[in-house]
Amino acid sequence: MIEVKGLTKQYGNIRALDNLSFRVERGSVFGLLGPNGAGKTTTIKVLTTLSKPDGGVAVVAGHDVVQDPTAVKRLMGVMPQENNLDRELTAYENLLIYSMLYGAADPETKIHSSLNLVDLWDRRDELVTRFSGGMQRRLLIARSLLTGPSVLFLDEPSIGLDPQIRRQVWDIIRKTRIEGRTVVITTHYIEEAEALCDRVGILDKGSLIALGTPEELEATVGEYIVEFVNDEGKLIQQICKDREEANNLVLCTDCEVTIRKSNLEDVFIKLTGERIE
Amino acid sequence: MTGGSWYPIFLREMLLFRRQLLRISYLFSAMLIPIIYLLTFGLGLGRSVQINGTDYLSYLIPGLVAMSSMINSYTWVANGLNLNRLYFKNFQVFVQAPIPPSAIMVGEVLAGMVKGLFASGLILIVGFIMARDLSITPLFVLTLLLNCFLFACMGVIAGMVTKSHEDTATYSNLFMLPMAFFSGTFFPVDRIPEPLQTAVWIFPLTHTNVIIRQNSISTGGLVSLGVLFLYAIIFFVIGSRLIRDYSE
Repeated sequence: MIEVKGLTKQYGNIRALDNLSFRVERGSVFGLLGPNGAGKTTTIKVLTTLSKPDGGVAVVAGHDVVQDPTAVKRLMGVMPQENNLDRELTAYENLLIYSMLYGAADPETKIHSSLNLVDLWDRRDELVTRFSGGMQRRLLIARSLLTGPSVLFLDEPSIGLDPQIRRQVWDIIRKTRIEGRTVVITTHYIEEAEALCDRVGILDKGSLIALGTPEELEATVGEYIVEFVNDEGKLIQQICKDREEANNLVLCTDCEVTIRKSNLEDVFIKLTGERIE
Repeated sequence: MTGGSWYPIFLREMLLFRRQLLRISYLFSAMLIPIIYLLTFGLGLGRSVQINGTDYLSYLIPGLVAMSSMINSYTWVANGLNLNRLYFKNFQVFVQAPIPPSAIMVGEVLAGMVKGLFASGLILIVGFIMARDLSITPLFVLTLLLNCFLFACMGVIAGMVTKSHEDTATYSNLFMLPMAFFSGTFFPVDRIPEPLQTAVWIFPLTHTNVIIRQNSISTGGLVSLGVLFLYAIIFFVIGSRLIRDYSE
């Protein structure tokens, strides 16, 4: 569904994308995980035709994003990282303008069904400026789904939301996995990538440093992590390939220890020596 | 070329404009400067002045209409595009939609024209109350429409090339302010010292002021009309290309 080959993008002296390549299968949820500045949003901008790459090729559903941008635009829905709703328009007016931009047939029904999905139909005539941050994110999801896109790009969909609202947003995203829709999510939240994605690409400094299912990636570091604070007050994390090795390590230390399953952040730490922040 | 795909852009602007109109601050800001000029120059200074055989107020009001249409068509488009592109990021929604770049251009320009015409209309209402010899001819309407169009196009250019909101204000001071004062709004251009006159004829507003005061088109008026059309085409093409080549 999506094929990216050797994508590069330079902003002044900063190489935002450095020979980036990956594939996303139709109907799957693909996550781009990485710290701020890793190139996640730049990748989304190129794939959604907002940014022209300096090199490489990006193809969405058989259409090159540079050569045939209009065909790509017709297929996609985008939820940007920034809230770019019209705050001085109502929720309904925001979706009406969007449906007209896409030439959607039967906009009334589509707006009704989108606002229902995110539980905002009853608030449709309120100005967006009066909505909470969580409601505005939900409205952005509704807008991105309005025209029934076959490819959905979600750039940091739950950024800045408290955990409870974040889970509501995840539930909505899970509902969007219908009719073979392909979803690309960027995030720097480990739990988000683990909760939503079939496959994850880990980005650092514009390059893909790991690619696979969350389970495959976690298996590369070992199944368990033993954590303890040493005499100098520093948090030590020890990777263990199985529970037995973790138990043996616990027996060898006098400190208070925690045993937990490894996660995608451990993969990132192993590969870069840094945390995802 | 654009079909009706410009309409959602235009409709969005009109929905926002409708809400702006409900705020007293909008009407106040749209009318304040021209009304101040009308009172100071028209009623104060202009009581004892006649220009080309007509009273000064009748001379001044078409100039103020042209100036007001220029400022409002330009400023609303330039500020709106600049803010939507750099801060609110609404402009990106248009760029990511499956519509031609020229549709964005047409939608923005038509919305700018409406705002320019609205502000001009307010001045005209005041003008009809205060001036004796004020008349609106088809030529007046055509010139006003053309003026709104070309300055709305110029607003698109400024909104697309400026890198910060402060830059938009700099552009206004650099181009709009000299044009407002030296293009024949308040006094005929031939009263400006000779070397400056040549520069003043480069300003589109100078040509607008020539035609907007004519009851029927003269030879000089035809030339000015041609210049306005030329400016309108050039600004429209540049604005459309800037939108087409937009990339973050």
